[in-house]
Amino acid sequence: MTDNSGEVQEPITKIDRLIHEPSRYMLMAYLYVVEVADFLFLISQTGMTWGNLSAHLSKLEAAGYVVIEKEFLGKKPHTTVRLTDQGRNAFEEYRGNMKRVLDKLPTK
Amino acid sequence: MVEDINLKEIQRKVYMSFFQDGLWDIFLGLFILGWGFAILTELAYLIGAFFIGIYFTVWGVKKWLTYPRIGYVRFSATSRRRITARFLILGVVVLLVGVMLGVVWGIGARPQWLADYFPLVFNGILAAIVCFVAYWARANRFYLYAVFIFLGAVFHLWLGIPWEFGFIGAGSIIVLIGVGILISFLRKYPKMAEEAQNSDRQ
Repeated sequence: MTDNSGEVQEPITKIDRLIHEPSRYMLMAYLYVVEVADFLFLISQTGMTWGNLSAHLSKLEAAGYVVIEKEFLGKKPHTTVRLTDQGRNAFEEYRGNMKRVLDKLPTK
Repeated sequence: MVEDINLKEIQRKVYMSFFQDGLWDIFLGLFILGWGFAILTELAYLIGAFFIGIYFTVWGVKKWLTYPRIGYVRFSATSRRRITARFLILGVVVLLVGVMLGVVWGIGARPQWLADYFPLVFNGILAAIVCFVAYWARANRFYLYAVFIFLGAVFHLWLGIPWEFGFIGAGSIIVLIGVGILISFLRKYPKMAEEAQNSDRQ
């Protein structure tokens, strides 16, 4: 291994695998640019199925990256999702690490 | 991955979701149409009440029609402050221009060119406001609406078409486009099944 590859490997080891999964990355990215979104909005924007979205959000919730809140609009339950401060920081760190990894790759 | 999903593009997409139902197009079209009828019937003073009426109606319809289809999103506090500040600036500028025109008109000090080309100035200001909304809301089709509005004055001054007909024509076209967008939106996003909307995360 050369010094250069070592430099590339170092930020790779810091990549958050939970966020690295494409669907979860997409969800984090959407939640990063808004304050609160409901399930329906995330489905319409990402094209995920209800079950798929639910599964990914549960993993993000378990890691403390998102908060899922249930409220009632009239008699109907309404589920909203927002990024926590921890999730926001994790996402920013992930982006920084990915950028460093990509920037260090040699060009053709 | 980082390169593929651009945060600014996502933000733009989120903003655009606000305009994809065509309701704001219908709102603008009705407002312009209202101007035309207000001038035609000499009830221009009612336009403020009409504006407020359709504004709240659009919000009501949006809650009933749009949110059950594409869901609800609240922009970040920073974005909301930025949007509010922009529309406040716009409101103040419009108010100042209106007061200035009113004063110039009132004291009889209006220059001849203003009297001759008043429709051009008036429609120009309206078109500029619509361009402003198009730019800040990133809704490009609103630029086209600004052109329609401005053309009303051009047709009036150079083709002799009554001024109010320009508003009625532009407003009707904008409403029709809005209705077309709304129909395509309703087809693209059917209302989610009740159980899906109400379901828990399980």
